Parts: sequence; C-alpha cells; structure tokens
Amino acid sequence: MILKRLCRSGPAVLAGGLLALLSGCAAGAELDTLKPQGPYARSIDNLSDPVFMVAGVVFFIIFGGTALMWYRFRDDHTDEEFPEQIHGNFRLEILWTVVPALILVVISVFTIATLTGLNEYEDNAMALSVDGAEVSWEPEILVVGQQWWWEYRYYFDGLDGLDLSDARHLPPADIVTANQFAIPAGEEIELTLVSRDVIHSHWIPALNGKRDAVPGRVTSWKIAADEPGFFFGQCTEFCGLSHSRMRMQVVAMTHDDFQDWVRRQLQPAAEPTGEAAVRGREVFESQCARCHVVNGVNDETSKGADLVSNAAPNLTHLMSRTTFAGGIFNLYEPGGNLNRTRLEAWLRNAPAEKPAYAEGRRGMPAMGLSEDQIDDVVAYLVTLGETPTLDIIAATEVE
Amino acid sequence: MTATTTTPATVGEGAAAQPLGVYTRPKGGNGWRDWVTTVDHKKIGILYGAAALFFFAIGGLEALLIRLQMATPDGTVLGADMYNQVFTMHGVTMVFLVIMPLAAAFANYLLPLQIGARDVAFPRLNALSFWIFLAGGLFLNTSWLFGDAPTGGWFAYAPNTGVTFSPGHGMDFYALGLQITGIASLLSAMNLIVTVLNMRAPGMTLFKMPVFTWMILVVQFLLLFAIPVITVALFLLLFDRNFGANFFNPEMGSDPLLWQHLFWIFGHPEVYVLILPSFGIVSEVIPTFSRKPIFGYEFMVFSGIAIGFMGWGVWAHHMFVSGVGPIAVGAFTLSTMFIAVPTGVKILNWMATMWGGKLRFTTAMLFATGVVSMFTVGGLSGVTHAVAPADTQQTDTYYIVAHFHYVIFGGALLGFFAGFYFWWPKVFGHMLGERLGKWNFWTMLIGFNLTFGPMHILGLQGMSRRIDTYSPGFGFELWNLVATIGAFTIALGVLFFALNVIFSARRARGLPPVGPDPWDARSLEWFCPNPTPVHNFDELIQVESLDEFWHRKYGTDENGRIVRVATAEEVCQKGDATDVHLPSPSYWPVVLAAGFPLIGYGIMYNLWLCAAGGILVVMSIYAWVFEPPDDPDGAHGHEADGAAEPEEAPVG
Repeated sequence: MILKRLCRSGPAVLAGGLLALLSGCAAGAELDTLKPQGPYARSIDNLSDPVFMVAGVVFFIIFGGTALMWYRFRDDHTDEEFPEQIHGNFRLEILWTVVPALILVVISVFTIATLTGLNEYEDNAMALSVDGAEVSWEPEILVVGQQWWWEYRYYFDGLDGLDLSDARHLPPADIVTANQFAIPAGEEIELTLVSRDVIHSHWIPALNGKRDAVPGRVTSWKIAADEPGFFFGQCTEFCGLSHSRMRMQVVAMTHDDFQDWVRRQLQPAAEPTGEAAVRGREVFESQCARCHVVNGVNDETSKGADLVSNAAPNLTHLMSRTTFAGGIFNLYEPGGNLNRTRLEAWLRNAPAEKPAYAEGRRGMPAMGLSEDQIDDVVAYLVTLGETPTLDIIAATEVE
Repeated sequence: MTATTTTPATVGEGAAAQPLGVYTRPKGGNGWRDWVTTVDHKKIGILYGAAALFFFAIGGLEALLIRLQMATPDGTVLGADMYNQVFTMHGVTMVFLVIMPLAAAFANYLLPLQIGARDVAFPRLNALSFWIFLAGGLFLNTSWLFGDAPTGGWFAYAPNTGVTFSPGHGMDFYALGLQITGIASLLSAMNLIVTVLNMRAPGMTLFKMPVFTWMILVVQFLLLFAIPVITVALFLLLFDRNFGANFFNPEMGSDPLLWQHLFWIFGHPEVYVLILPSFGIVSEVIPTFSRKPIFGYEFMVFSGIAIGFMGWGVWAHHMFVSGVGPIAVGAFTLSTMFIAVPTGVKILNWMATMWGGKLRFTTAMLFATGVVSMFTVGGLSGVTHAVAPADTQQTDTYYIVAHFHYVIFGGALLGFFAGFYFWWPKVFGHMLGERLGKWNFWTMLIGFNLTFGPMHILGLQGMSRRIDTYSPGFGFELWNLVATIGAFTIALGVLFFALNVIFSARRARGLPPVGPDPWDARSLEWFCPNPTPVHNFDELIQVESLDEFWHRKYGTDENGRIVRVATAEEVCQKGDATDVHLPSPSYWPVVLAAGFPLIGYGIMYNLWLCAAGGILVVMSIYAWVFEPPDDPDGAHGHEADGAAEPEEAPVG
C-alpha cells in the first residue's frame, strides 16, 4: 500500500509526487482520519483505501496519457499535413462510458454495505454500579452542542422516553460534563446529538466520522474505541465566531476504570475547607452560579444559564478534566500543576482569551472580578474534582 | 427579427423631432458614455469580463489574507470575526462575482458570434443584466465599508445566519446582494436561451452548434431553474431577519435543514453553472490546437446535457452528516457517484481529440490541457467523498476545500484563462504575449498545486474547514505554510497576466490589428475580422457543417488528403457595415439597475430608501417602454440603397 505509506494523502498529492514523498506522517496527528482506532472508523478506512487506490490509478492513466500525448503528438512543424480527422468512435465512447460506470457499481456495493453497517446499532448492555445500585446500561451519551463547547450527559436509566425536544431544557442527568468525556473501550457507544443554538458537528476522527447536532432535531451516531486511550475531536460545522475553538477529547477506559470514573463523577462537590476556597465559593454563588452549575451547590436551584443556549459547563468535577474553555486550554501544566496563569486570565477577561459575543449572551463574559476574587475563585475551583494522573495530563495536552 | 424593421420615423407620432423629451436615446459613439449606455453584446461581454476581473482582484486579496492567517498556527493576522468575514466574502465573491460573470463575459461576447447572429435577442435586457450584476456585486462589497461584511459562510446555514446569531447587517448584505445578482442571472439566462433557440444562422441546426454554445445553453437552463430556488431561500432568510418570520427558526418549530435543502438544490446545479462554460471553452481550444475536430461531438453535447440533468439529483451529498437518514444518504451517494460518468466521458473525449493530433502548445492550449488534468484531480477526489461513509470523515475538512478548488480553480478558472488567450485577438485585435503567457500559465499551475494539493493532506490529517486558527502539534504546520507560499505564487501568476494585458496592448498600439485567423480556428466567430466590428457579420452565413469556418478553408483532394481551398482572408468577412442597422444605446438599463441597491440599503437602514429605489426602478421601466426603438438621427443610412433588405438586430 504505497498510498498508505504516503499518509494516503489522496490522488491529487500524487500530482506533485515529490510533495507526497516529503509529506511523511506528522508526529502529533491526533485528528488524522487515516489512523482509525475503532471498528467504525476502520470500516470507513477500509472502504476509502481502495477508492483512493482506484482514484490514484485513474489519475495516473489520465495524467500519464496527457503527458504522453504532449510528448508524442507535439507538432514538430516538419510539414503542414493535417493529422487524420477522426470525428469520434462510437464503440470506444460506449466503452469509456460503461467501464467507469461498472467501476462505480463495484464501489457503490461496498459503499452501501459500509453505510448500512454504520447505521446499525447493537444491543450491548453493560453492568454498572450507579450509586450502589446495579444497572444494565446500554452505553449511550447525550451530546449537546452550543456556542462554543460540548456538553455530555449520561442517563443510566437510558434515554428512551426522555423528552429531548427542547435542548435548552433537558431532563436532569446522572452525570453532566463538558468538552471531555469518558467511554468504556471496546463498546459501541451510541451518541444522541442535540443542539441548543446553531448547527454543530461532532467529530472524533479516530473513532468514527462526524454527525451534526441540529437544533430542533435529534440525530444519532455511534463511536467505539478498540483500546483505552485519548482521542481528539473538533466541531466541524461552522458555528460562528469561535468555531475553531470548539474542541473535545474522549478518554476511553477499561470497564473498571470507567466504573471508577462514574463513581467519582456521581459525587457532589466536596465542601471547601480553606479560607480562600470558602470565599471563592461565595463569589461563585454570587457571580458564576448565574450560568454555571456545581452539583450540591446550585444544581437544585439553577434555572439554567443567563445565555442564549441556557447552559454553561457544569463545574462539579472541573479538575477531573484536563482542558477548559471548549477544550482549547490546558487546565494543568505538564508537571501536573494547575495552569494558573491561563485560568486566571480566563476568569479576568474570558472574551480576550476566546472570542465570544458576551453582549449577545453567547460565550462567557468578562466578570469584572477583582484580583483577590479571582484568587479566591481559583482556590475554590481546584477543590472541584480529582486531579487526573500525569500520563492523562500529558496525553491530552492541547496547546 | 422583423418587428423593428420599420424605420423610426414611422414609430410613434412625432418621432421625427424630439419625440418624448427625455426619452430620446443616446447616440453612442466613444468614451465612457458609450460604455454606460451600450446595448452591444460585445461591449457588454467586455464589461462583464472587466467587472469579473475587478472582483477577482478583491476575492484574490481575500484569499491571500486567509492564507496569511493560516500560514502559521495561532495566526494573528486577522481576528476570528474578521477571518469569518473574509472567508465568507472570498467564497461569495469568487462564485457569484468572478466565475459566473466570467462565464457571462464569454457567453455574451461569443455566443451570438458562434451562432452567426447580430446580437442577443434582447440587447437592452442584456445591458440590464450586466448593470444589475454590477450593482449587486458592488452592493455586496460595500458591506466592507459599513464594517459589516457577512460572516455566515457562502452557504449561510440557518440558524447561524438568523438575527440572534448574526446580528448586524452582514447577512442582510449577503441575502440582498445575491438576490440582486440573481435577477441579473435570470434575465441573462432567458435572453441567451431565446437567442440560441431563435437566432441561429440559416443551416445551423442545434447539432451544428459549437460545443461552447451548447454548454452555455445548458448552463442557462440550469440558471433558469436554479436561481428561483435560491431566490426563494434568500427571501425566506430576509423575512426571518428583517420581519420576524420564522422559516428557519427551530425555536418556533421550523427545521433548519430546510435551508440546506433549498440552498443545495440551487447550490449543486450551481457547481455545473460554474464548470460547464469552461468545458465549452476547452472543447473549442483543444480541437483548434490539435488540428482535429472534437472527438465525439454528440457524446460531448449529450454528456453536458446529462450533467445538467443529473446535477439536480445530487444535492443532498452536501448533507451526508446532517442526519438526513441512511436511505437518503444511500440514494444520493449513488447518484453522486454516477454523475462522474458523463464527466469522465468529457475528459476522455478531450484526450481522444488530442490523440493523433498535431498539438501546438500555445498558452491557450496549455491552459486547456491544464483543465483536463487538474479537473480530473477534482473529479476523482469528488468520487472519494461521493462514498458517503468516507465523506463523514472528509466533509467540512480541508480535503473538501482542496476538492472544490481543483474543480473551480483547476476546472473553471484555468478554462477561462484558456479563453482569454484564445479569444483576445478576436476581442481586442491583438494577441496576448506568448512568452509572458507561458510564465503566467506555469506560475499559476505550480502555485495552484502548491496551494491546494497540500490541502488534501491537511484534510485527511483532520484539519477542519472554516477555522480561523489551528493549534500547533496536530501536524498542520508544514502544509499550511506550503499552501500559503502557493497562494502567493498564484498571485504572481495573476500579476504576469495583468502585465501581459498591459504590455501586449502597448505593443499593439499603432500597429494594424492581427490578421483574421491567428489560430487556424474552426467556428463562426472567426468569420468576423479581428477585432469584431460593431455589427458582427456583414452578411448572414449559410451554415452547412459543424466547424463551418474550418470547412470553408479546407477541403479534400482526390486522395482524401486535406488541402487548403481558401485563405482565411478570402473566407473572412470584410467588416463592411453597409446595410446594417444596429439598435441604439439606452440610458435605462443602468438607471434601472441603480434602483436595486437603493432598495437593498433601504431594507437595512431606512425603508424610505426602498421607496426611492422602487420609484427609480418603476420609472425606469416606463422610460424603457416609452423610449423610441431607435435614435432617429442614428447612423443607419444605407437603407436607401435598397438592394437587399437590411439585416437588423432586434431592439430589446
């Protein structure tokens, strides 16, 4: 598979063959569509590889043919004779109508087969302990898009029967997290997608293709990872100002680790103990709680966020995630310390860090906090959730 | 063509003196006044071309800004908001204000000539089309001056383009601007269809028309049916934004996918609107410089028609990941794959035309073969994402950006450059320089591949489209930098073209025009001397075969060898305007067109302006109707001669 080795960069790159040789495969290619890490992405890859091959062959025939003719039929000005005046050849033309059609028929058979496979959902219930009760959970996650971050909601009783018609007022979920979510490896994870404002598109290239989250509609898709690992994604439907800053990461875990993750995520926020953290919580309640929710603090009282989308990231387990602000900033420094500079800058003036229309109630506004208040809020935020291990922090670095 | 053969003196009472005050027609002549009031299809063609190249410069600058921003990760050349404005306007400009009017330029200039006609069927309407197009294009670009260019992308997906998510007037400029240029396209489509169907020279059956004329005809039908769809969609968007309608508002229960369906039912035929004119040009250039007739004329025509028809059945391939359901996805994946068949036929027929020929690599021929190879790349990458599962990985990535630039730049734009070099002597009476032409071709070709070739890799590496910046570490750095270098190489190529235009005009100053047949060409337009005289043909041409001009020059001897039977000078007409009566210029097309931007600004800023614009439009229509069919003092004075009934163009 020469194409594969050349990053399978498609026929056009072969046009500049030298370019393709130079391409190599980039070191950090977390979004690479040609490195499937799960069965669905692989089924797409297995389908598109031969199509790239066929396209490459056709390209070489056309390009080689043109080059050959440039050389062979160049007018050498030796005489003024006209070449033979051929007006056409019916048989030949039928031939090059039918042969490409037949090639396409073959491709379309495999296309339809793959398409069918990607649209079938299996029953794969897994046993899970939720708050001490054993539940049989068919892995499914409600994915909610809004400007410019993703929310992931877990309902361990299943999504059947839930009213998802109004994405701005969704039924309470067991776990609500943002921009970074966990899945059990080796399982089919059904994604149900809705949007709270405009159209977004959810894409984890290593685990499957993309699917739009369309306001007013409920769409489905599925992902699966072969092995535990970290996978990156990006919103791919243009969704306005900070479209490029709407990213996400998936952490695929063993069943045990996933069970452990679920157990921890189900905990409400711990009571802060330090003085600064207590003060920070007060600032949170007076300022941040207008939009953000921390379970155990304002999840019962919150009527939603004072934003067009009616939602802001749930911060109950903020520190268990490694990125923030739509998956674009590292929450931790490589050594595992808090990325304090970035977090404080964010609290100081979020729109300067990530473009937003705060005046149109889209995106986090500058809160006008004093430096002391910012210190206090940071002291409070670091109490929310457990710090992940260093290898996770290293693997999910985004900046 | 008989309706206006009466002399002006007999039309309307008192036409002899100053008939209706202000409604007298302008005299024509030279200078800017002539260009503004002209109804001559050739001048209108040149105007279209000049306007399109002007917008090409703007769209090209926008492209360079995009590439500057993307040259390095975390680029800071443009902010997010400015980037969104720039990429939106780049797309809108290149599609609606560059490629479409370039096609209109060639169609206007050449189509009447290729069918042996005096002008298009409705010359004043033709002028109106141009001025409305220009009004719409300028209107759209004035959004920059208001600091409020559209940010929703040329595809303008709802509900992001609604007033909640796109406050300001950017998307109003988009909706109104495209609405205005849409009027121009519709008028022009009807005009050209009537022209082709009714005004062909005697003996020119449909299947003796040049392939270019055929492709233009197909395109006009596509426009005729596609423009109304976008018109409806834009009105709905406009009503949503300005009058509180809820056509695309999901909160009120409407489905944002409605916009996508409407937009792409227009948008996909639009792709063929962009590419088929270039296919037509290539089908003229390659036979000429291969010294062979086009291979499989009927196949070429029918494949063009087939593309036109099938183009209506593939729109939802833009929506494979929108959740339209697997049956729809399956159906559209199949239809999309099979539209590659007639397209492939064209490629192979061009190659068969070259096969066994005697290829002369003029700049025009280089550009035409450039289309054959570069469009092939775009076509093949198109097949790779016609495969719907693969498209779920590729859509909305740079792979798609690469794909459609190979189609629209590599297919359409290179074809228009072939046309420039091929027909420049026809239009301006002097050749473009071949040496600079070759520099132009090679820098553009290399720059083009440097820019868009790497985007295939970037897309497959997972780089999304329409992102204003990207982070380091995803492997995007190298190829983005290469693409930026490529973009500036293209700009250099365009600069060579501009220099070529200037230098060749300067060189030709004071010299007699180029001879009648610089390329040993084949079709009817070459019967006219170069540059084409204002009246086109001295007398009607009796057409007996496809490539009539060539067949008048060459015959076969008893051994079946091709021999020249007449020189080009003998075959070519003399440019003698005796007994020719041309329609007079008119003020009203340009005045009428000026009303539309007023209405546009009015909807955004002050409804009274709408009233002013509306009055201007209606008054202009009345003036148009009441102006005499001709300038009573105009020079058409050979009818006393009386030997032959003067052949006249109708007065639109």
